[in-house]
Amino acid sequence: MSLWSEILKNVFKKPVTIEYPKVETPIEKDFRGLQYADLNKCNGCSLCAIECPSKAIEMRKLPEDIKLKHNPRGLYPVINYPSCVFCYRCVTICPVNAYITTNEYRLATETEKLLSDTLSLQTLKSGGA
Amino acid sequence: MTETVLQIPISLEIPIGPQHPALHEPVMLKVYADGEEVVKVEINTGYNHRGVEKLFEMNSFYKGVFISARICGICNTVHANVYVRGIEQLLGLEPSPRAKYLRVLAMELERIHSHMIINAIMAEILGFDTLFMLIMRDRELVMKAKEILTGGRVIAEYYMPGGVRRDIDDVKKDRILDILKKIRPRLEYYKKLFEIDPTITNRLVDVGVLKPRDITLHSLVGPTARGSGVKTDVRAEDRYEVYGEIPWNVITRNEGDSLARMLVRWDEAIESLNMCEYILTHLPGGQAVVDERKLPRVLPLGEAFTRVEAPRGELTYYIIGGGRDRPYRVKVRTPSFHNIINSGFSYLGYSIADVPVILVSYDPCISCMERAILIKDGEKKYISLRDIVNMKRVR
Repeated sequence: MSLWSEILKNVFKKPVTIEYPKVETPIEKDFRGLQYADLNKCNGCSLCAIECPSKAIEMRKLPEDIKLKHNPRGLYPVINYPSCVFCYRCVTICPVNAYITTNEYRLATETEKLLSDTLSLQTLKSGGA
Repeated sequence: MTETVLQIPISLEIPIGPQHPALHEPVMLKVYADGEEVVKVEINTGYNHRGVEKLFEMNSFYKGVFISARICGICNTVHANVYVRGIEQLLGLEPSPRAKYLRVLAMELERIHSHMIINAIMAEILGFDTLFMLIMRDRELVMKAKEILTGGRVIAEYYMPGGVRRDIDDVKKDRILDILKKIRPRLEYYKKLFEIDPTITNRLVDVGVLKPRDITLHSLVGPTARGSGVKTDVRAEDRYEVYGEIPWNVITRNEGDSLARMLVRWDEAIESLNMCEYILTHLPGGQAVVDERKLPRVLPLGEAFTRVEAPRGELTYYIIGGGRDRPYRVKVRTPSFHNIINSGFSYLGYSIADVPVILVSYDPCISCMERAILIKDGEKKYISLRDIVNMKRVR
């Protein structure tokens, strides 16, 4: 009984490491990844910004050309992803279930993934207010 | 004339740590050695002090659930669990049976991977890097099971007063059971390897022997105590959550040396695996997920004292509610606090090469042990993230 048999087996096996950029990492569909607010639902109540444990959410004013009936305050949450700890407190506390969750975990390279504003504003174009 | 030979004892002071290749944690052991023999050990801590207890007082008690998980990465679910149970005591909430089962499942999965990582680190400290790699490879399976259950590989964020934050369906249950089936032969194999392999036993047998008297005298806890035959386990003593309903045994060994402590951890990992399988096959129905929007917003006046068996030993939280949205005081006492600071006596008489081995056999977790300090920004200038984004977009 020693490690020799185990080592010999491993010599003829494929490596267990994943060649990451070429091969995608197997990740769960409901992994707590990047999340952003759907502005078709968000009413600007600011509860997520108050409840965020890492103070990663800032309420911004909507661009002037966008007026939403369901959002009288004209505010929407912008998540600062480098500060975010992905605890999903904002998702579970939201009274109108406005948050869209994804399993996106690759946040290092693209500048669009620093703040959630572009993703949130895109929801208006796709869904229609 | 007869020659007289004077023997002057020279003791050499060797600092091991806080940054040292043989230590995985920022703790400093000042070892005084006479030749190879250790004659005195001073344990200096304080390199990882972060101010978490103060943060608890400054944030609402719901934010505290997430802060408590950040005290320690490897045992984050037990920290969150014991904090949440304290809050539940104050609020008078009772989670459903299904939520309790799921809570125990998350904690036991964590115990398996925590025990695997410390055994892997022990193998690495011994210079047995192949075994380190193999154990870490198989640990990935447990991390995957935890990801399926909680949605995060390491930080679970699984607990909320009154229940858990996500439920599992039958598909997930079967997947976790499949993973557990794969883990079992690996755990048994490694346990046997630790018992038989001379590379390991030559370094661990009769090293760092603790008698039961030492354990009770210096209040050591967890697998360290159980490795010396002291039958102490909070899961058996308090029977919190559903530990009273699940069949399981407290593992003890009587040898008291470093190998006994590591073997207790392997046995406990296998015991935890049995518990996980029992939970998944006997999961009661009902609602487990709590609606966080309907929870009370004020922590009433009162005190709560809760304890839990973390992978390293007994972990206690003492919470005082102040009738506000935030606790008046949260006191955390972690197992490494006992096991590291009180264990200076156990290095004496062994050689310098045994010091890292004995330290690792206590499963040190310094980030657990040291908590507080909030650093205020002095005159540092901050560029807002928006500016950085714009700068990069222009390019």
